[in-house]
Amino acid sequence: MDYHYPAGTVRALLQTDDVTEATRQTLTERLEKPRRQPTFFQPDEAELLTCIIDRLLPQDNPAGRIDIVGVIDERLTGNQSDGWRYDSMPADRDAYRLGLKATDESAVALYGAPFCELPTEQQDEVLNAIQAGTPPGITWQQVPADRFFEELFAETVGAYYSHPLGQEEIGYVGMADVPTWQRTKLNDLEAREPRPIN
Amino acid sequence: MSNQYSLNDTVDAIVIGTGAGGAPLLARLAAAGLKVVALEAGQYWDPKKDFPTDEVGQDKLFWNDERLSAGTDPVPFGSNNSGIGVGGSTLHYTAYTPRVQPDDLQLKTDFGVGVDWPISFDEIATYYDEIEHFIGVSGPSEYPWGPARKRSYPMPPLPINGAGQLMERGCEAVGIKTSLAANAALSAGRHQEGLGHRAACANRGFCQAGCNVGAKSSMDVTYIPLALSKGAELRSECYVTQLVKNSSGRISEVVYLQNGQEKRQKCNYVFLCAGAIETPRLLMLNQLANSSGQVGRNFMAHTGLQIWGEFDEDIRPYKGIPGSVISEDTHRPDDADFAGGYLLQSIGVMPVTYLQQMARQRGLWGEAFKQAARAYNHVAGINILGDCLPYDFNYMELSDEKDGRGIPKPRVHFTNGENEHRMTAHADKIMRQIWEAAGAKNIWAYQRNAHIIGTCRMGHDGGANVVNADGQSFDVPNLFISDNSTFPSALAVNPALTIMALSLRTADQFLANRNRLNV
Repeated sequence: MDYHYPAGTVRALLQTDDVTEATRQTLTERLEKPRRQPTFFQPDEAELLTCIIDRLLPQDNPAGRIDIVGVIDERLTGNQSDGWRYDSMPADRDAYRLGLKATDESAVALYGAPFCELPTEQQDEVLNAIQAGTPPGITWQQVPADRFFEELFAETVGAYYSHPLGQEEIGYVGMADVPTWQRTKLNDLEAREPRPIN
Repeated sequence: MSNQYSLNDTVDAIVIGTGAGGAPLLARLAAAGLKVVALEAGQYWDPKKDFPTDEVGQDKLFWNDERLSAGTDPVPFGSNNSGIGVGGSTLHYTAYTPRVQPDDLQLKTDFGVGVDWPISFDEIATYYDEIEHFIGVSGPSEYPWGPARKRSYPMPPLPINGAGQLMERGCEAVGIKTSLAANAALSAGRHQEGLGHRAACANRGFCQAGCNVGAKSSMDVTYIPLALSKGAELRSECYVTQLVKNSSGRISEVVYLQNGQEKRQKCNYVFLCAGAIETPRLLMLNQLANSSGQVGRNFMAHTGLQIWGEFDEDIRPYKGIPGSVISEDTHRPDDADFAGGYLLQSIGVMPVTYLQQMARQRGLWGEAFKQAARAYNHVAGINILGDCLPYDFNYMELSDEKDGRGIPKPRVHFTNGENEHRMTAHADKIMRQIWEAAGAKNIWAYQRNAHIIGTCRMGHDGGANVVNADGQSFDVPNLFISDNSTFPSALAVNPALTIMALSLRTADQFLANRNRLNV
């Protein structure tokens, strides 16, 4: 099944007393945050990362774009950790720098041009090779390709689906918890829970 | 009421860490009239103000100083397997509180592997009873597995969530018995000593982050307020760096950082309750309590395979207590080709947690991933928690890399052994059968190990263990350890309730023997 949910659900709930003040502040700030001018990534790195992320999670929401590169750039600028990393990986900042450089190496080796200049089908083939851990390029010796893919994609997904626009896309309204949830049986929805449209 | 001691006072005891290992013991020592100070690295949160219903907004509850995960099956930390703040990782535990069964404590006797516990089940069960009634555990009136209980749970079970209903359906179809589970969250409001009224669970399904209504029985709303009402002093945002030994081999002083300033508190006893990574890390950094060479060894992490599936039914996995249904029919399966066993649990899940797991292991990305993500409201999971044996190749060490505080990062080596692989394969088959019988489509498995256990093992023999059965160091007589690091085996249950039980036992043993200890 392919489910689709109406737009605007989370944004509307944020205007109501169904969310706590703490929840409203956190989500509204994320929703209204302006696009970040990268300070960790160089302009060419930010451009490449945008090209990659646009294939990992394509965005076509007319309500706006989720600034995933900005979320990653902010974390790396502050040198913040999520509490762990694979011992086989270099430190996060190095991992991103090296992984981006290596992605372009693979693109050139496989299709003769940098990643952003390739048609999307070829971009996807480059990403498949990285995910499988078998891409060409000498820089991958310094950063395991499959782990780079996993870490980058997990962070991308975290940034996308913690954003109100991403939450609306999957019909998530768990933040509207002030009235408590009393209908916990299967197929039993409360009025504020969006129904899929198909 | 809570006291405030001076740095010039010699307090009776310093408790380092305020999670499931530290908080119960803190309350017990304070109630006995001791001058006790708790040092907690994290903040004292106000759940109403500080806990938005937002996963990213709550990552402050995780110990986010970087740890290095090595081995064939690297164990994740941060949102898993760590905690910081007054209440420790109980702030974001799922509140699942099954008891161990007696045979969990004797894998060596029954299977010839691992080690037996130096404590009897009956002794632990006495504390289970006390804790369940004090913190407020909701559970079934009759629990089908394990020995008879002294009393039933103090409150009826919480409403069953979508995943739980599906697990009941699937298990019934394949002939596996289920029960509503014990959860440390209130199915009805109640008075909490030292705190006041606690509200009933709002079914907001956000238990793997902080509870903003106080219904989840984390330490910050149970044993911490009790400890403060009995006179304990709590110092939050205090990061311990040194345990200073005097010439007689006892710890005389604890050094910590508060607001960037180094402070020193004199003390007679130290209770180290910082969890299975930070506890051995502190001992290693201070070169303490390790004549056995066992500090950091015997690292274990539960087998924790999850099976996910999509159902036609509208489930909304963000509603209801995540772990509402349990089965312990797999505790000692007849057809097992492994030692020990496991339990089965239903799991509700928050969206970012679920989708990041999917990102790491399902293999989908691009439009295929987005379509699978849009099925979130139709997703339910079941998982296991099972034994993990200790192996020489699984251990924690200090790396050469320094963290943001300038302190060596811990490196944790973990690789599942043959026993864990066999158990996981057994569970994979059973859970897929259950989920298929329940009507799941697009079933996929998330490989994981969860809960960190065993880096400062307890036992009778000081040559092979770090502490004795009372949690007392064999090397430093006024040092006690109380947390998941002392578990001799992993146990086939979630560890929090047993950590609390050992915490109270350590306090009681200490109080009973204090005159003899106080040489």
